[in-house]
Amino acid sequence: MIRQLLRYPSARAAFVILAVVAVLAVFGPFLAPHDPLAQDGSALLQPPGTRYWLGTDALGRDVFSRLLAGSTVSVLASLLSVSIGLVLGVVPGLLSVFLGRRFEWINLRVIDALMMLPFLVFAIAMTAMLGNGLVQAMFAVGILITPAFFRVTRAAALSIANAEYIEAARLMGASTSAILRRHVVAKVLPPVAVAAASMTGACLSIVASLTFLGIGVVPPDPTWGGLLATDLANLYDRPFGPVAPALLIVATVWALNALADALRDSGRKETAA
Amino acid sequence: MTTISEPAPPQAAPIVTGRTIRLRHGKALLRHVGGTLGITLPVFFIATLITFLLGVVSGLDPAAGIAGDAASPETVARIRTDLGLDQPVVFQYLHWIGGVLRGDLGTSWFNGVPASELILQRLPISLSIAGVALLVGVVFGLGLGLVAGVRHGGRLDRAITLFAALVSSLPPFVVAFVLILIFSLWLGWLPSSGYVPFADDPIGWLAAVSIPAVALSVDVIADLARQLRTGLVVALSENYVTGAVVRGLSRRRILFVHVLRNASGPALTVLALKVPMLIGGAVVTEAIFNMPGMGKLAADSALRGDVPVVQGTLVVSILLILACNLCVNILLGVLQPAARRRS
Amino acid sequence: MKARSLAGWAVLLAAALATAGCGGSGDKAAEKARVRWAFMLPTSWDPVTSRTGADINTVSLAYASLTRLDKDGNVQPALAQSWTYSPDGRTLTFQLRDKLKFTDGTPLDAAAVKAFFERGKTQKDSFLRPEIESIASFDTDGPLRVVFHLSRLDYQLPYVMAGRVGAIASPTAAAKDKAKLALWPVGAGPFKMVEFVPESHAYFVKNPDYWDAANIHVERLELTTLSEPTTTIASLVSGAIDVASIGPKRVEEARARKLTVTTAPSLNASDLMINRNKPPFDDPRVAEAVRYAIDRGELVKTLTAGLGTPTNQPFPPHYFAFDPQTRDKWAYDPARAKALLAQAGHAPGSLTVEIVINPLINEGLPELLQAQLGRVGIKSRLRIVPPGSSSWQSEVYIAKRPATAVDGTVGRESPVQNLLAVYGPQGIMNLSGPYAPPAFLKAIDEVRATPIDAPQYKERLQRATRLGAEQSPSVWLFSTPFIVATRSRVKHLNIVPSQIRWEGVTVE
Repeated sequence: MIRQLLRYPSARAAFVILAVVAVLAVFGPFLAPHDPLAQDGSALLQPPGTRYWLGTDALGRDVFSRLLAGSTVSVLASLLSVSIGLVLGVVPGLLSVFLGRRFEWINLRVIDALMMLPFLVFAIAMTAMLGNGLVQAMFAVGILITPAFFRVTRAAALSIANAEYIEAARLMGASTSAILRRHVVAKVLPPVAVAAASMTGACLSIVASLTFLGIGVVPPDPTWGGLLATDLANLYDRPFGPVAPALLIVATVWALNALADALRDSGRKETAA
Repeated sequence: MTTISEPAPPQAAPIVTGRTIRLRHGKALLRHVGGTLGITLPVFFIATLITFLLGVVSGLDPAAGIAGDAASPETVARIRTDLGLDQPVVFQYLHWIGGVLRGDLGTSWFNGVPASELILQRLPISLSIAGVALLVGVVFGLGLGLVAGVRHGGRLDRAITLFAALVSSLPPFVVAFVLILIFSLWLGWLPSSGYVPFADDPIGWLAAVSIPAVALSVDVIADLARQLRTGLVVALSENYVTGAVVRGLSRRRILFVHVLRNASGPALTVLALKVPMLIGGAVVTEAIFNMPGMGKLAADSALRGDVPVVQGTLVVSILLILACNLCVNILLGVLQPAARRRS
Repeated sequence: MKARSLAGWAVLLAAALATAGCGGSGDKAAEKARVRWAFMLPTSWDPVTSRTGADINTVSLAYASLTRLDKDGNVQPALAQSWTYSPDGRTLTFQLRDKLKFTDGTPLDAAAVKAFFERGKTQKDSFLRPEIESIASFDTDGPLRVVFHLSRLDYQLPYVMAGRVGAIASPTAAAKDKAKLALWPVGAGPFKMVEFVPESHAYFVKNPDYWDAANIHVERLELTTLSEPTTTIASLVSGAIDVASIGPKRVEEARARKLTVTTAPSLNASDLMINRNKPPFDDPRVAEAVRYAIDRGELVKTLTAGLGTPTNQPFPPHYFAFDPQTRDKWAYDPARAKALLAQAGHAPGSLTVEIVINPLINEGLPELLQAQLGRVGIKSRLRIVPPGSSSWQSEVYIAKRPATAVDGTVGRESPVQNLLAVYGPQGIMNLSGPYAPPAFLKAIDEVRATPIDAPQYKERLQRATRLGAEQSPSVWLFSTPFIVATRSRVKHLNIVPSQIRWEGVTVE
């Protein structure tokens, strides 16, 4: 599967970017040349230079180190929301096909209802009212992206629920759980992977918006979105300040979307073949 | 907002796809509307229940606030009883939703003003931004998507695709800042904050609303263009198009009458999914442009724990989104001859 | 939707955008003397229930006070033409101007003033009560003379009457609906409200009946909430607002963008409030250690672009209540801070405190304080509570729940009032409340009992400041001046130490 993906140039680029981001997320805090919280009162709002590669912020903290240190939180936060959305979406998505009608109806309506919520406002309301922390924010976002996972899972499961080979497997005496494991999982996994990739990108961007509004992140902990927000605030002193964090966010989100597209395309070809 | 929606697979239509397809005549349309409503109502109640539960789970309590700083536990308990806060959650919800249906959204815990009044004051602002954003998004999204789809594979197509990919990777507040930088600071053409009612000064209104609306619409443009392009590319390669070309129908007629109609389904679906993003996403633009809209009201109220106002803004947003969805659904039924044929 | 109509819409929209872009702001006559001011809206439009010091800036748009301060902080006549203390100092009589009236037509006479203060004494949710504690009862002596019978000597009252406390509201409006007054002011101030949307904006037009209306050249004043600080300058440059306060670090940018920047002395001072009732600050050695841990010079340099002044008391050094004897106390001494912590039994790094902050305070101050505390071995966590909200009010000012919080005072018309707000038993900014140092309270009584023009006044006042600063655990940090950026059409800003006023301000 991966070899097939690598045939797409965009997927190759995406893999490189994501590998870099993964390294940043795991080792970022250790790679940082300076303490991301250390303030240098003699070097406020410096432009990029040899001592501070990307310059310093209003308190004299090294922007490059903060960017590296912020990677862990930013990436983990998106992954956390996606995991919540994944669990809350995939399981009912599968069950809605294989359990009874009533369960299906209720599930569909709840998912419809979740889709009718004004996204960011609801995320803010939920985060703020549950205690304004990063975990609360991620939980809120996770719940709100549940429909995306529910729907792709359900669509894939529906397409095979009545397929002949399942019928055949059943006739050959396979138990329901075995069928679920072998066939359904194989069929459902690819579209869920596509959704997970693009949702991770979306979450990264949503977290950035929330931190921009001061929701979910408490100073002095750095995040990509938070850094972007402060750099935008100091635009006059550091006109190119926002470029680095913006680029990091855009590249990561783009890579995830490109990966999702490539996954989808290769999946299509596979089924066509 | 960014790509929350997958470039929608056909089954991802908003509420009730199956029914949509089976429309044929006016009667069928009526039945369709009825069926849609039959599903919309439970969705409304579930969405409002979620909203209501949010307030309950938050554990915020108006009693202490109302009683003042020197309240005895007895006073607080009495106020709680008066407000019905000691009753089971289900009764509280029924009581609340009853009020909501009568247009009573409760009173702000913060300044004692009825929530409905606060919301009504802000509704025109949010609707202006979201409405103009939707319009801009539809016009440019469809335009770009059409060009990209028709010039499939060309340089223009690649440029548009790149633009769409880039823009939907960008957090929306960055777009807003770039626009402020260009139009307010550099060119000095448009104000970067404040709101002017349409009735007072239509041109001032447009000037005030345009940057926030464009900032908000960028994402709609990107997604819509992408979706329409994909739809067009698929539709253009279908047999009936070749057949029409063979029959000698003009290219323009084929494109607008047949292909666009068929390709617009998924695009409309994306649009329906974008409405919650537009109404919810306005909160960031409203904060940046200091426009006192509903999103800002909801965010500020949430931060200070003003539960009735938060719930009120969410209910009104949900109603708006449901209404938009209904419209799109009906439009979808009218627009999709191929879908009907296939079924 | 048909493609043709879409194209039509696109053309319409493009045309409209173009007109909007070029036509920008119209040139209506009414707009000429209009000023758009971005500031905070008050916690209440009723002076009796208004809760914070900064409210006076906006409350004084709709209300005139009995007296007012000049730029040097001296009391001048306003609604009251003159005032006299009886020889024993036990009665204070204000002589009102003739033919004053509120914007609802009610005459502003001695009876109206008496009714206002009686409401301040009796209304359940009054925040005025502690401010007028010295006055036992009110009387009228003819239509234009109000007599205060004092329960103790208090020569501060003419100052106090220059602010929110003396901002007389219409008794007719109050009798009709007290709750409404909080949302719709009825006073006799320079302006009359014409539109108000809570937490959004308040629009005013000039009040021709204001006693000093001849000096009001602004015909229409549109007050909006503060914009996102990062876009305030863009809002000024693009003409969305005319007047706004900006942070000290944005002065250079504002000037570069051809905005007028006015700085004026303020009574503003920032502090780290400390609660002696909460551990670990129930041990005075820990609180004292914090005093030596703070490097005010660094705060001023990093946060105020050199515009601020360090201060270790609730007043800036230029103010007459600032105590010069205290000036050099608690200088930055990390070694001493560590020693004090060790005495109190806290090894370096073993102590963690929670600092409550709000997003409106000086950008970076909480993080800088956190770093400075970290240098002496005190770890800290920041917790955000939104400002001006019921939660900051109830959590910090009323319930006094935090152990430490970053806050500040904008000053009050009377120095005694300010000292009580930060150190007094009912002071909103006294996080250790209801505790107040007894020696300080005694000193305050002495100040009150001293006439303003008596030779000992200044010395006694400074002694009260000294005792408060010594015996209360809160740590004062620095003072920043008023920094107001304006578009060039607004001229002659009128900034008195405790508030921004509009007399004499002109618009081109």
